[in-house]
Amino acid sequence: MSLELHDISKSFKDDKVLDGVSLSVPEGKTLVLFGPSGAGKTVLLRLIAGVIEPDAGHVEIAGRNVDGVEPEDRNIGMAFQNFALFPHMDAHANIASPLTAQKQGKSAIEAGVQSLARLLKIEHVLGHKPKELSNGQKQRTALARALAGKPKVLLLDDPLRNVDAKLRFEMRLELPRLLSDQNATVVYVTQDYKEAMAFGDEIAVINGGVIQQIGTPEQIYLSPANVEIARLFGDPVINFLDVTPQEDRDGVFAMISDKRVNLDAGHKHAVGQDCVLGIRPESVLFVAEDHIRAVPVTVEAETPLNEKTVNLCLTARGREIMASRPSGTPGPATGPAFVTIDASHAVLFDKQSGALIPQDESAALPKGEVA
Amino acid sequence: MQSVSTLERVLRGIAITVIILFFMFPILWIFLMSFQTNETILRVPPSIFFEPTLVNYKALISGRLEGSTATLEIAFMSNLYNSLFLSVTSVTVGLLLGVPAAYAFARLKFRGSEDIAFTLLSFRFAPPLLVLLPLTIYFQQIGLADTYVGLIWVYQLIVLPLILWIVRGYFEDIPADIEYAYRIAGHGFWATFRRIALPLAGPGIAAAGLLAFIFAWNNFIFALVLASADKQPVTVGALAFITASGINYGQIAAGIILSIAPTFALALYAQRYLVEGLSLGAVKG
Amino acid sequence: MTTATAGDPPKRTFKISKRYLPYLLSLPALLTCIGILIPFFTAVAYSLQRYRLSQPWAREYNWGANYLNFLSDPSFWNTLKVSLTYAFLTVGIELLLGLGIALLLQKRTRFNNFVSIMLLMPLMTAPALASLMWKLMTNPGFGILSYFAELLGIEDMRWASDPSTAMLTVVIVDVWVYTPFIMILLLAGLRSLPRQPFEAAELDGVPRLFVFWRITLPMLTPFLLTATLFRVIESIQQFDIIYAMTQGGPGDTLTVFQVEAYLNFFQSTNVGRSAALLMILWAITYFLSSVFIKNWLRLRERARGEA
Repeated sequence: MSLELHDISKSFKDDKVLDGVSLSVPEGKTLVLFGPSGAGKTVLLRLIAGVIEPDAGHVEIAGRNVDGVEPEDRNIGMAFQNFALFPHMDAHANIASPLTAQKQGKSAIEAGVQSLARLLKIEHVLGHKPKELSNGQKQRTALARALAGKPKVLLLDDPLRNVDAKLRFEMRLELPRLLSDQNATVVYVTQDYKEAMAFGDEIAVINGGVIQQIGTPEQIYLSPANVEIARLFGDPVINFLDVTPQEDRDGVFAMISDKRVNLDAGHKHAVGQDCVLGIRPESVLFVAEDHIRAVPVTVEAETPLNEKTVNLCLTARGREIMASRPSGTPGPATGPAFVTIDASHAVLFDKQSGALIPQDESAALPKGEVA
Repeated sequence: MQSVSTLERVLRGIAITVIILFFMFPILWIFLMSFQTNETILRVPPSIFFEPTLVNYKALISGRLEGSTATLEIAFMSNLYNSLFLSVTSVTVGLLLGVPAAYAFARLKFRGSEDIAFTLLSFRFAPPLLVLLPLTIYFQQIGLADTYVGLIWVYQLIVLPLILWIVRGYFEDIPADIEYAYRIAGHGFWATFRRIALPLAGPGIAAAGLLAFIFAWNNFIFALVLASADKQPVTVGALAFITASGINYGQIAAGIILSIAPTFALALYAQRYLVEGLSLGAVKG
Repeated sequence: MTTATAGDPPKRTFKISKRYLPYLLSLPALLTCIGILIPFFTAVAYSLQRYRLSQPWAREYNWGANYLNFLSDPSFWNTLKVSLTYAFLTVGIELLLGLGIALLLQKRTRFNNFVSIMLLMPLMTAPALASLMWKLMTNPGFGILSYFAELLGIEDMRWASDPSTAMLTVVIVDVWVYTPFIMILLLAGLRSLPRQPFEAAELDGVPRLFVFWRITLPMLTPFLLTATLFRVIESIQQFDIIYAMTQGGPGDTLTVFQVEAYLNFFQSTNVGRSAALLMILWAITYFLSSVFIKNWLRLRERARGEA
């Protein structure tokens, strides 16, 4: 069943939590709602579930307006961030609750609970009350409960938030398969950009109750709609450099530490404008001194980050630049060094508004030189 | 830091002893009195040594007071029964009315809900006679004078605010998500109320019920104004009893002991909730 | 789910609209209380009438006359004086005593918990029955307290039947019943206070008296305020203890508001005066309870927050 939200607004007292949110999730697809806490993600899920009602706009499930339809009649499954297990019922009864609501027979309920418990590896704790479960078991129980009714729409409210790192890692691997098996339309809320990139067919970035960008994970990463989104996606954080693009007969370029960095010709219309250039740390490369575009820097610090090594560098003018390279590849730990900037994936934002300056496709001549 | 000196310890010990004496002595003394006949009660000087006897309790329970000149029928047991009946039914009615209302106030904030909740609370602090005196006249007109129904209705004045405000707090303590989860799982509003909200607020409801029972049992003024002899609870009955039996002090003492025993027992049982109940939920014990 | 295919409309069973649900749930409780609100307005009307049960034919509205008469009515001023004296004495003593006991029992030891539970027993005693207990103990013939008084050299102490000691007697009963209330509230308050300031003060060797005045008391203020207001509101309305002990006597020594109103109604059948008295009492308690409720709400919020 497809899910659509039309122009949803919701306020609590004077606090506008959602402001004209529209979304659409095709049947069987997963939409990730990504945003910082307080962005309105959880409220949006509750509106879809029907436990609270929007002030304006409406929700459509399978093309039908569900205004005024009670939550129990919406055929939705939901997993809560804090699990929200029924504390006076054991795990079995918790998982069975959607099945009892559907008035299924005893054996059908038993079969349903057992198969989910097996799938999620919690068969041995079915007789335990929630307070006797570990966080991971709680989380799996909550997930099993959300799936038990075979809902056509599944709402997952940051389900991995309150579990430890190891379990989060495991679940990141398991969940996508689990979700695709369900063949449900999924809305997945998270604050973790890696989860968003891993699970989403599409990602909707929400902040301050407004959808800022919707797109595939790739689109969001490569052309973030504004400085804020660019900052949220990616680890280490994207580098921002104040530039004013210039143009000569060789094309569009910007000067960084007196060195020319060629930009995509599509940025031609930004020439002379105050801009912010966004450069992913993996596009900052260490080079030898004699490289033609070598920018001298001082490496201030080195931080190993799992498979990556991150260096904090300072240019001669005191600008900070982060460089990231695969761990094990050579690079200076501290001291003077030279970097060059691969501008092929650089993004340009308007300095005032922070909005992305889109590339003018018609001007897209051969890509800027890779330095 | 200052070490606790011996002097301070001694002073503390004395203070606590005096306090315990002051607060416990009356109960102990009346308790002892209830096992004595007038003969030993009237001794000068009084003494705590005597031959204990159960005649007072026997007389109360059998309802026959053997005087030196005549036998007096006393209604003490029926007073005790009235107390029990009035308290139990008032609390039951109070729970039936108050728990759903408490849920509405806790969960479904609706227009005017806070104002209404406060109006209910303010009854708790208004002078009871203000309502009772006109009520005697009304009750006469609508035939509720001197009926259990009328009394139980008026008892709601103390029972209902207590239940409402304590139980409301317990409902508010249930995370809304738990109830949402049950709704989303496919259960209706009433099923959620019955199978999630009620069981989870269970301890609070029990505590409120017990406390309401104690307050109802200890009430004096309602029944004094509205009930005649055959509907009177022990609080009022004991007063009449003192005037009627006049000089049989041992029986009065036994009557008092029988009348306060139930609330003592309940208070011991519910002590964990007493602080919260007495402060209408403002202070947690 | 096999029954609902994508084309099925979401089922719309008959449901009570959400809008009416809260009212439906709270209506029975509200109706019960409205039944009690009506007599309240009747009482307002009575207070504006010349109305004696013994002379129903003479019943008429005299508007403010009942209230105006109070100004020149020594018995009204006596009622006011007695009520205020009673409230002031009982609450004052109970507050000091309750705070003292709470401080003594502050440490969570088994013994202290046991004592605090024992001390609750007077509070669980019906006030009317408590009066009877003290009546038995202050009986001039055989009362143990009369005997003690004699040992102390006070001959023929007549307690509640003597105008000079009647107030003292009922105040003692009230203190006996209600001190535990203040004690248990303050004890809960004391035990809920954060520890750090006390530990820091102890480390710095701050004198304990100073700690008490500058840390303990200020932090305890909301609890003290709640307990005090709660008690003042109840104490100024006290009926059970006084009525059970002396029915307002001897003479008019103890005719506090509610006792006086009761006697006016049932003995002198002066409904108008009785109602006017109660209205004045109501005004006092209404003022106090509106202050109280604000403070009480703050505390309640805090208690909920900690849970």
